[in-house]
Amino acid sequence: MPTPTSAFLQGTLDLIVLKTLQWGPRHGYAIARWIENTTDDALQVEEGSLYPALYRMQQRGWISAEWGTSDEGRRIKVYALTTRGRAQLRAQTAQWGTCVAAMTKVLHGTP
Amino acid sequence: MSRERPLWRPTTGPNVDDELAEHIELLTRRYIEEGLDPDTARQRARARFGELEPIRRECQDIASQMEIDVKKTERLHELRQDIAYALRTLRRSPVFAAIAVLTLAIGIGANTAIFSVVRSVLLRPLPYPHPEQLLQLWTDHRQLGRAEPEWFSPPGLEDWKSMNSTLAGVAAYQGGSAVITDDGEPETLSGFLVSGDFFDVIGVRPERGRTFTMADDDPGAEPVAIISDALWKRRFGSDSSILGRRILLNGTPWTVVGVLPSTFRAPLPAQGELYRPLRRSEASRACRGCITVRAIGRMKPGVTLAQAQADLASVAARLAQQYPESNAKVGAWIIPLHDQISGTTRAPLYAMAGAVALVLLIACVNIANLLLARGASRARELAVRAALGAGDARILRQLITENAVLAALGGMVGLGLSVYGSRLLGLLVPENIRQVQPVRVDAVVLGFSIVITAVCACVFGLLPALKSVRGASSTWLRIGTHAISSLRGRLRGGLVVAQVSLAVVLLVGAGLFLRSFLAMQSLDFGYRTDGVLYGNVVFPPARYQGPELAMDAVNRTLAQLRANPAISAAEVTDIPPLLNAGDQDVTAIPVGEAMTGGEPPSIWFRSVSPGYLSLMRMHLVKGREFTAADRKGSHLVGIVNAEAAAAFWHGGDPVGREMALGRTPDAPRVTIVGVVASARHAGPKQPYRAEVFLPIEQIPARAVTFIVEPRGEERDAASALRAAIQATDPLIPSPAATSIESLVGDAVALPRLYATLVGIFAVAALLLAVLGVYGVIAFSVMQRQREIGVRLALGATPSSIVAMVLREGGRMALIGLVAGFAISLAASRTISALLFGIKPFDVPAFVSAAVVLGLMSLLASLVPALRAMRVDPIGVIRAD
Repeated sequence: MPTPTSAFLQGTLDLIVLKTLQWGPRHGYAIARWIENTTDDALQVEEGSLYPALYRMQQRGWISAEWGTSDEGRRIKVYALTTRGRAQLRAQTAQWGTCVAAMTKVLHGTP
Repeated sequence: MSRERPLWRPTTGPNVDDELAEHIELLTRRYIEEGLDPDTARQRARARFGELEPIRRECQDIASQMEIDVKKTERLHELRQDIAYALRTLRRSPVFAAIAVLTLAIGIGANTAIFSVVRSVLLRPLPYPHPEQLLQLWTDHRQLGRAEPEWFSPPGLEDWKSMNSTLAGVAAYQGGSAVITDDGEPETLSGFLVSGDFFDVIGVRPERGRTFTMADDDPGAEPVAIISDALWKRRFGSDSSILGRRILLNGTPWTVVGVLPSTFRAPLPAQGELYRPLRRSEASRACRGCITVRAIGRMKPGVTLAQAQADLASVAARLAQQYPESNAKVGAWIIPLHDQISGTTRAPLYAMAGAVALVLLIACVNIANLLLARGASRARELAVRAALGAGDARILRQLITENAVLAALGGMVGLGLSVYGSRLLGLLVPENIRQVQPVRVDAVVLGFSIVITAVCACVFGLLPALKSVRGASSTWLRIGTHAISSLRGRLRGGLVVAQVSLAVVLLVGAGLFLRSFLAMQSLDFGYRTDGVLYGNVVFPPARYQGPELAMDAVNRTLAQLRANPAISAAEVTDIPPLLNAGDQDVTAIPVGEAMTGGEPPSIWFRSVSPGYLSLMRMHLVKGREFTAADRKGSHLVGIVNAEAAAAFWHGGDPVGREMALGRTPDAPRVTIVGVVASARHAGPKQPYRAEVFLPIEQIPARAVTFIVEPRGEERDAASALRAAIQATDPLIPSPAATSIESLVGDAVALPRLYATLVGIFAVAALLLAVLGVYGVIAFSVMQRQREIGVRLALGATPSSIVAMVLREGGRMALIGLVAGFAISLAASRTISALLFGIKPFDVPAFVSAAVVLGLMSLLASLVPALRAMRVDPIGVIRAD
C-alpha cells in the first residue's frame, strides 16, 4: 500500500540507491536495509520498485552488477557504482539541493 | 572480472528469480529473528513484494535487452578484429594484394563506367515533364520505296494536328540558324524555327521573360526570339536588360523576349542557341510539296503508343484519299522520343556492357584462383586456429571478411577509375545525344557499383573460403596436404579453362572489330580524302536579294582564292562530301525512257563549280566535265553518276539524253553531258544512290562550301580562305576551315573506338587467362615434384618431362579454345549490326584469336616446364 512517504520516494529512488552504493557495493536486500536504518525506518523501500530500478540503472550504465557469494556462502548479485554513476550522483544531489532550497523559500516565505 | 567462457553453455545462469528469491529468504530470516513464526514470516516477506510476476517480467526484459546489447558489441568487436587481421595479412603478401585489388578495380571500374553511360543515355528518362508521352512524328514513305522516315509539309502537319484524337499537342520545328551582326564579330548562331506552342508541348518555360504564343507565329507579328542561357552569357554578358533588346539577325531586327534555363536540353538534332517562331507565309502554309518541317507530339494522358500509331495511321490514310498527288501511300511513322534520340546507341552500348561483364567475370575467376592457391598455403595457419578453439563458423566469417575487405578495396579504386572510364566510354555515344543526356555518375550508379562489388565478393570469395574451412577443421595439422590439393587443383584447372574460353570470346570480338575498322579505313569513298580544306559560307538573303547577287559574291571569292599564292586550287559546291550539310533530291524522269511501273524514282542533286570534279579526283567515266560555257542562260546540263546511269537508262549511254527534274510539265530539263563513278558522299556506311551534278552557275545556291587545296602550309591556306571571305563581305562570319581528313576521321571514329575498346578488353582478358594458365601449371609442377624426380631417376629424358607439362597446359588451352569458339559463334551474331564489311563468322578473326591464345598458353606453360626439367631427382626423393 503506497504510503505518502513511499509515493514521494518513487521519484528519488535512483538518487537514494546511488548514494547508498557510494558507501560500497551491496546486494538488493542490503540496499533496502541500509536505507531503512539510515532514515530510522522513515523511508521503507518498496521491494517491487527497487529491483526494476536497479535493473534500469544497470542498463543505463550507472551501476554494475556481479554474481558473487556472501559471507554465509549464499549466491548474491552485488551492485556497485560506476564512474558514470558517480557523476550522476553528483549531478542529482546538486539538483536536489536547488529543489529543497526553492521549496524552503516558498514554504517559509512571506507574502 | 574476466568473462567466464565455459566449454559448455548452460541454458540458464543465475537469474532474476534467484535474486528475488534470495531477497525474500533474507527478509524471512529477519522476521523470524524478530519473533514471527516461519510461515507468517515468509508470507510477510512475500507480501512486501506485491505482485511478483510483473516485477520478474520487467527485470527479465531489461536483462535480456542488456544481453543483446552485449552480444552486439561483441560482434562489432570481432568484426573490427577481422578487418584489422585481414588488412594485416594483405600487407604481408603485398604482391597478391596489389594484383587482386588492381584486377578487381579494373573489372568493377569498367562495369560501373559502362553502366553509368547506359543509365544516363538509355535508362534515364528525358528531362521533360511526363517524358513517356513525347513522340517524334514522321511520315512513312516505305510504300514509295524510301526506307527512312520522312519530314512533313506545313499543311500536312496542320492536318495531322487538327485531325488526330490522341495527341495533346504538336510542336513543329525546322532548322533556322542566323548570322548575328550587332556589337561584335559576326557569328553564325545555330538555332531552330519553332511553332508557337513548341515550348508548351515540350513542357519547358524560359527562365526569364516569356514563352512563345500562337500569336507570335503570325508572319505579321513583331519578330521575337528566345535565346539559350549559353548565348546570353557568352554574347550578351548576362545582361539583365536582355529582355526587349533588339538584335540584328541576318540583317533584320528581332526582339529578345526570353532566355531559356541553363539546364534546358533541346530534344532536337542539335542544341540550338536561337529559337524563333516559324512565321510562315500564306504560300508556305499551303505548299504540300514543301517537305520542310519536323515535329514532336505529346500524347494525351493515358494514351498508349499503339493507340497513337493507329490513330495517326488513320489520319494519314484519310489525307491520302483527300490529296492523292502529295499524300498517296504515305503513312504515319511514330517513334517514342527517347528511342529517337538515343536508340542508335543501344546496340553498341549493350555490346560493350557484355564485353565488360566478361572481363569482370574473368577477373573474379582469377582472384578465386589466387585465393584457392593462397588457401593451400594457409592451410596450416587455419588448422592451428581451429585447434585453438575457433569454430568453423568463426573461421568462415573471418575468411569472408577478408574477401569482403579485398572486394571493398577493389571497389573503391574501381569507382575512382570509373569516373574517367565513363568519360572514355561516353565517346561511344554521339555528341548530340550526349548533350541531351549527359553522362554522369549519380547515386544509382554508385549503388550499382556497391552491388557488383558485393556480388564479386561472393563469387570469388565463397568457394575458396568454404574449401579452406573444410580443410582446416578436418585436416588436423597434416604436413604436405596432398589430398586437399588435388581436389583444389582440379577446381583451379576448371576455373582456368573458363577464363581461357572467355578470353577467346573477347579476342574474337576484338579481331572482328579490328577487321571492321580496317575495312572501313581502306574503303574507296569515290573522292579525294586528303589535302583539301572546307570553308562554309552563307550569303544571307537580306543582303543578297536574288541568287545572282549571291553567285556574284561566290565568283569574287573564288577569284580571290585562286589568286592567293597559298592556294593552288579552289572550287565551290553547295553540298560537299562528309559534312552532313543535308540532302536535296527531286523526282527525275528521263525523257524518252520507258519507266517501269510504280513511282518515278528520285535523284539527289548538288551544284558544283566546273573544276570541282577534278579537284575532288572524281573519276569521269564518259563524256565531259562542266566548262565556263555552261552558265546562266545557256542550255541546262548535268553530270550523272554511274548508279543513276544504271537506274535510269538501264546501262544505255545517257550522254546526250535529257532528264526532267520534277513531275510537273514545266519542270526543268537537263541534258546529260557526262557520267562520273559513284561515290559515297555521306560516308562509308552510305549505300550508292543516284546522283546528278549541276553547274552552280545554272542552279545557284547561297549556302555554299568553298573547297581549297593548299599549296604549302594548311594554316596559310586557312587564313587565305578567311581573308577572301572578309574581303568579299566583312559582315559574313569567318568560316572555320575544316580539313577533309578530320571529317574522314569522324566518319570512321566509331569503328575505331570499338576496335580500341574491345582490343583493350581482349588484351586484359588474355593476360589474366595466361596468368591463370601459368599459375595452375606452375602449381601442378610444384605438387608433382616427387613424381618428376622419380621419373627422371628412372630414366626419363628432360625433354619428355617438358612435353608432359606442355601437354597439360595444352589440354587446358584447347578445351578453353573450343568452348570459347562455341560461345563466340553464338554471340557474334548479336554484334553484326556494329560490324562493317565483314561477316560475323569471319575466318581470319577466329583463326588469329586461336593462334594468339595458343602461342600465349604455350609460353605460359613453357616456363614451369623448363623448371620441371631441372628438378634434381635425388634431392626431391630424399627430402620427403
